[in-house]
Order: sequence, then C-alpha cells, then structure tokens
Amino acid sequence: MFVGRRMKRDLVTVPPGATLEEAARLLKANRIHHLPVVEGERLLGIVTDTDLRNATLPGAAGSGEGAPRTVGEVMTRNVVTLSPEDTIDDAMLILSRQRFGALPVVDGGRLVGIVAKTDILSALIDTLDIEGIGVRLEVILRRDMGEVTRLTEALRGLPVEVRSLVLAPHLPDRYAAFVRVATIDVAMVRERLRAAGFELADLSDFFD
Amino acid sequence: MASTQGPGRSGETRFAAVLPRERIERDFGTLIAEKRIYGAERNPDVLKKSGSGESFLATAVPPLRRLLAVWDRLFGNRVSPVELLGHLAVEIHGFGHREAILLFTRDRLLYDCQILQGNDAVGHLTLDLYRERDRVVPFLPFPTRPGRRVVYIEGISLTRQSTGYASALFRRYERLFHDLGFHLFRLKASLSVGKYYWAKEGFDCSDREQFRKIRDRLWDLAWRLDLPVAEQEVRRLTHMSDVAAFRRDIQIPAWRDREGYYTLERDDAHPEEFLFPLGKAFLLGSPPWDGHKVIYTDTPRRTALVWSDKYLAHGTPAGHAEGPKRLTALRDAIRREGLLESLIVTEPYLPGMEAIHAIHEPAYLEAFREAAARGDRYFATRDCAIGAGSYEAALLAAGGVMAGIDAVFSGRSDNAFCAVRPPGHHAGRAQAMGFCFVNNVAVGAAYARSAYGIARVCILDWDAHHGNGTQDLFEQDPETLFVSLHEHPSFCYPGTGRRMDRGKGAGTGTTLNVPLLPHAGDREMIDVFEREVVPAIEAFRPELILLSAGFDAHHDDPIADLECTEKAYVHMTLGVLALADRHCGGRVVSVLEGGYRVESFVASAIAHIKTLQGREDTPCSSAGG
Repeated sequence: MFVGRRMKRDLVTVPPGATLEEAARLLKANRIHHLPVVEGERLLGIVTDTDLRNATLPGAAGSGEGAPRTVGEVMTRNVVTLSPEDTIDDAMLILSRQRFGALPVVDGGRLVGIVAKTDILSALIDTLDIEGIGVRLEVILRRDMGEVTRLTEALRGLPVEVRSLVLAPHLPDRYAAFVRVATIDVAMVRERLRAAGFELADLSDFFD
Repeated sequence: MASTQGPGRSGETRFAAVLPRERIERDFGTLIAEKRIYGAERNPDVLKKSGSGESFLATAVPPLRRLLAVWDRLFGNRVSPVELLGHLAVEIHGFGHREAILLFTRDRLLYDCQILQGNDAVGHLTLDLYRERDRVVPFLPFPTRPGRRVVYIEGISLTRQSTGYASALFRRYERLFHDLGFHLFRLKASLSVGKYYWAKEGFDCSDREQFRKIRDRLWDLAWRLDLPVAEQEVRRLTHMSDVAAFRRDIQIPAWRDREGYYTLERDDAHPEEFLFPLGKAFLLGSPPWDGHKVIYTDTPRRTALVWSDKYLAHGTPAGHAEGPKRLTALRDAIRREGLLESLIVTEPYLPGMEAIHAIHEPAYLEAFREAAARGDRYFATRDCAIGAGSYEAALLAAGGVMAGIDAVFSGRSDNAFCAVRPPGHHAGRAQAMGFCFVNNVAVGAAYARSAYGIARVCILDWDAHHGNGTQDLFEQDPETLFVSLHEHPSFCYPGTGRRMDRGKGAGTGTTLNVPLLPHAGDREMIDVFEREVVPAIEAFRPELILLSAGFDAHHDDPIADLECTEKAYVHMTLGVLALADRHCGGRVVSVLEGGYRVESFVASAIAHIKTLQGREDTPCSSAGG
C-alpha cells in the first residue's frame, strides 16, 4: 500500500513569516501537532507544537530580548520527507525508528500531503477490522500452506461471515492466524474448529 | 386507577399469630348456639337462577372436624370465627349487615348477609371463600399450583344508589383479605351493576377472549360515532382499568332507565340522558364480564411478569443457541418455584408501528417482515435465524416492554420482568444482528417518554455482550444514560463497547462502557458495579430504569467467557432497586436479553425475579466465581 493512498491531502500550512502565536492558534484550531512551513508549494521546513512551546517557555534559551518571533526562526529545516510512491511500510519504519510524529509527502519538490502516526494507526485498524462487528479468534497452525488451506476450508463450512484473516509468524515453526468472525455464537465456531483438529489459543493463555 | 395501588404493606403483622385450636373450637360452639353457622351444598336447580346470590342451600351444621379442617385450610387458624364475622359484618356510612352467617361446604366457606341502612333492608351480599386448585385463569398454559386463596363475590345487590358504600366496603375487605393472605378477588359475570365500578377498582377481565371482544366493541363504538380515536390506541389496551380510564377527554351520551341501568342508544325505556367520558360510558353500557383482582402478593414488591406463548413462535433451527427452549424452561421454573402466585402476569400487545418507527426505519422493518413471510431461513446475517412467526414475535417483544412500562406507570405493579424473545440490544436503527431484530429496550424508552411524559431514562445492560445497538441509538442523547457491563470487545462479540466510548455530541458523558476481561467473575462484576455503575446512575437521577437483563455472563454460559454466578445478578438487582427507590419510585422494567445455557440462565433469571419481588430468601445455589 502506498503513502499516496493514506496521506492527508487537505493541508494546514504556514509561511515562514507567520508569528509563533499564529502558528499556535492554527495547531489548536485544527487539533494537529505539525505544521509544514511553505513558500508557495515549496516545503521549507516543519514546526511542531513542541518547537513552539520550547521557544516561548520562560527561561528557555533565546527567551526575552532577541527571542524568536516567527515560525521561520524555530522550524526544523532538514525535514525527512516521503514521496507518494513510498509505501506505508516505509512510513511505519521511519516513524517508529526516528520517533517522528508526522512526515510531509513531497512530489517533485512540491508539498502534496502529510502522513501522521494516527493515519498509520487508522490503516491498521481498517486492515484488522478492529472497529467492525465480530470476534477475533487465534488459531495456531503448523507453518505449512496446506494447514492454511485446511483452515480456510473449515471456515467456509461454518455458517458465519469471516471479516478478516491475518496470518502472522508465531513460533519458528508456527503461524498464528487471526480470524475475525461476525457471529455471536463464537462457542460454536471454536468447538467446530477444535473438532476439526485446530489448536485455538485459550484466553487464559494471555493471563498467566 | 383508584385503588390499584393495592393494599399497603403495613398490615403484615395483623393475623400473624396462629391461634390455639381451643379458641377456634370455642368460637364455633358459640356461633352454632347463636345459629350463625350452617352447612351448605350447591343446588343445581337453584344455580339456574342467576345473580340471586342463593345458588346454595343451607343444610345442617357439619361435624366439628370438617369446620376445623376448612378453617385451617383457608386461614391457617390465624383468625377466630367470631373475629372474622366481626370484621366482615362491619358498619360503614350508616350501612350494616344483618343475619350474617357462615356456611360451610366440603372445602369452602360462604358469608351471607342482608345489608341494612338504618332499619331498612337495602340489599344482599354473598362471598365465597376458597382455595383454587384448577386453572381458572388462563394466565400461563399450565395448571396453577393448588393453594391460591380466593374471595369470590358471589352476589351483591343494593336497591338504592349506594356505590359509595360498596366502594368503601370493598376497600375495607381488600385490606382484610390481603392481611389474611388471600390472593384474588373474583367477580361473577352476572353482577351487572357496577361494570364500570369494578373496572375502575382494578378488577380485570378473567377471560382474555372476552376481553378482546370488549375491546372490539369499544373500537366499533368509536368508529360508529366517528370519534377521533385511533384503532391502535384501542388495541393497546390490556386491562379493564385502562378501558375505564380510556380517553377521558372525549364525552359521549348514555341513557339511564329507572333501575339505574345504562344504554348507549336512546329508547323509551331509558329516558334520562347523561354525558360521560368515553371509557366510562362504554363500560356502563356493556354486558357483564367475569372479573378478578389481585389483592395479595406475598412479596414486599409487586412484580409484573410479561409473558406470551407467542414468544415461542420465533422459531430458530435445532442447535441454534437462542431457541424457544429458553422460555419454556423459564416458564417451568417459575411454576416449580411457585412464583406464579405472586407475580402479576401481564400480557404483551402488538404495538402500533409508530412506536417501533420511533426507533427503526420503516424500510428495514418491511424487509424483515417480507423475509419472514417469504420463508427465509435468516435475516441480514446468519446469526439471525427466522421462521414464519419471527416478525410478529419481535414486534410483540417490544410490545412486551411497553406493557411492562404500562404496568409500572399505572401502579399495577412496582416493577416488571419482561420474559421476551427475540432479544433486542444488538439491533440498530436498520440493522439485525446477534439474534436481535427490534431493540426492545429502546422502543420501551421512547414509549415511556411519549406515553408517560418522562425525560431521563437509564438503560443498564448487564448482558455479557456489549449492547451496541442500544448505544448507537442513544449515544447522542443526553437524556438517556446507557451503561453497559460486558466482556471486553477484544475478546468477545460484537467487538464494540470500549471504555473510551463515552457518547457523542450532546450525549457525550451519558454512555458508560465497563468492559470486563475474560474470566472475570462475581467479585470483579460487583466491584465495577459499585464503583462505577452506581455513582453514574446516582448522578444521572433517572425517572425510569430499564434493564437489558442478559444472563450470559454466568460461568456456565458457553457464549461468553465471564464467570459470574447468580450472586452477581442478585447483588446488582438489589443495587438497581435501591437506586430506583431513591430516584424514580422503584420503577424498574427488566427486559430479558441473552442467556444460553438453559440451567444457568433459568437459575439466574429466577434469582433476579425473586430479588425484584423483594424476597429475602433468595438462594445463591452456586458458590464461588
């Protein structure tokens, strides 16, 4: 999945000459934490609520006379950016490793969007269907596509709708299959899968 | 609605002591000497005369052991014969009783007297006291246990206008017989005078078929006179007291003859014209009906049980968790436990569609109706199995909650348990899921607002599954506090109801989700109930508490992973009653949701019902948790 599909396109930006107060107001009004600083469509830098707080904190370096007045003075200039062709995986790794909150997306020198941590989380929530109706079952499989096929066959035979199916590596020789089923009668599904020889993680496993 | 509030609870200590047998024997001796005790037998020739109050013949005094046996059976020897006669032959408003005698049949006691005003004989009264053992009232389709004590008003006639006296006398009697442990007044159909009076006093029609005909006639009348009455309003009536109070805003004429009988059509025999409110005029001009009135329930709180056989008509395939077996098992347990005698059994009604449309989209309901009519096996999702009777059963389930709300707001009961299915709390505005089609508590909340003018409703949902349908319907409504205790959504259907969901927009703060981790039991449940639920309801000050009472948080229930026992349900029920007492006159309407292992479901529901009744002997059969 590409960044271009998940990035936010309606951007709130500031020119470098904007005052710190103006920038703070913008952040608050839009409930965001990052403001790209632009000149026309060209990205000059990024300013965060933390940057603003540090600059205006009494006693902080540069407070008092000669304190910074504009966004241009406090912004980060060497911004790590993404391009729309980068993948969500790229974005996740950068955000995670460099502990950024958001990454501007630049296409041919032009600012076209921004990807924040919350956008990545939304992507995950959608993928795992966490907000949808259903219950997650955790089925432990041998690392063998034959087993995966057998599981999907077994699911096909049940009178329930499968909302999502995620296959994750578990032990060196195991998969954990996360199956989200839309039925209230989960007991029946568990029973039928166990009867078909599948190992289902017991809930008590998670509390020991 | 005059005396439907029923006898007070203060008379509990009257007649508490069992009298020594010698005292009873001595009284019998005295009364026999005064010729105030006779034997009696039914005489078929006399029976043919109706309404005379003399359908028996006095015979010789039966042997003492029979007198004693009847006395013990009826009164448990808690009142002496002389004392009883004194209470019955009471003088009120200048009216007294003369020639008051007691007549003993094999198993009954009759009280017979003349009514005097000053020195003039103005009437006659016969009461018949017995314990019924067959099923006389078609409440639930199984025989009632023997033992319910009944006062049968065999005959009352008064030659003068003296309804004030009759009223005062029967209120006195109601208290007396309540204190003596009697359960019901019954009324003979041939008592044609006082048809309106009996209805107003809370007597109900004993024969449901007869009641339906009365309702049909009322609708015919409204239609014939072209009155601004909707058929739905008439169809909603379930009690004679509702008929008596029906549309007091509309007045219609009735004509009276010399004897005091009314007709609704003018003729030569009925010259005097009167204007009466619709319900009153209608009843004054109706044929007589068989009536009864519950005067005694041996529980501190009067609890209505909403029940209909039609709930069994929502057929689901064998092996489906939500089957009719749940209700038949509950019904059997209610009988086995002897609860039927103390529950005020109330029939649900098919609500008008406007009541359902307040919550659900018409197109959605229509699709559901069509699916059931077409013979579809399920609707919307495979969980929601349906049969031909499912649509009507679902509407009737919502109507059951409405009937429970009627019972509580009219004062016929203090609280109510609605044994309805299909359940409702997963159903959204246009969404069937999780065995639910119509959101019963939501329809109830909307109905309580429109019919009884209240605003703040609390819906407490302790089903093991999150009541997502109810939450969706009310999350923006600041007047509805929705509190749900359920298994955590990461582990349990429907996967919603997280703690951070606190309502939306104006309704922010009036949704409270309390998820419990798998394997949580009574201790955890009771703990969050006390720490979070009680303070939230306390602060909200509801005018009505609706319970979405599922019993699937029980440790034996297969469909969730919580490990509660009856103890938690008893504890929470007591807590809810205490909150309701403080804020809304004890008004709690409990609505059945889930609960799928029949044994644990039934044990929990019975414990819940007994607690609603205020019984102290509530058992907690399974320990631990």
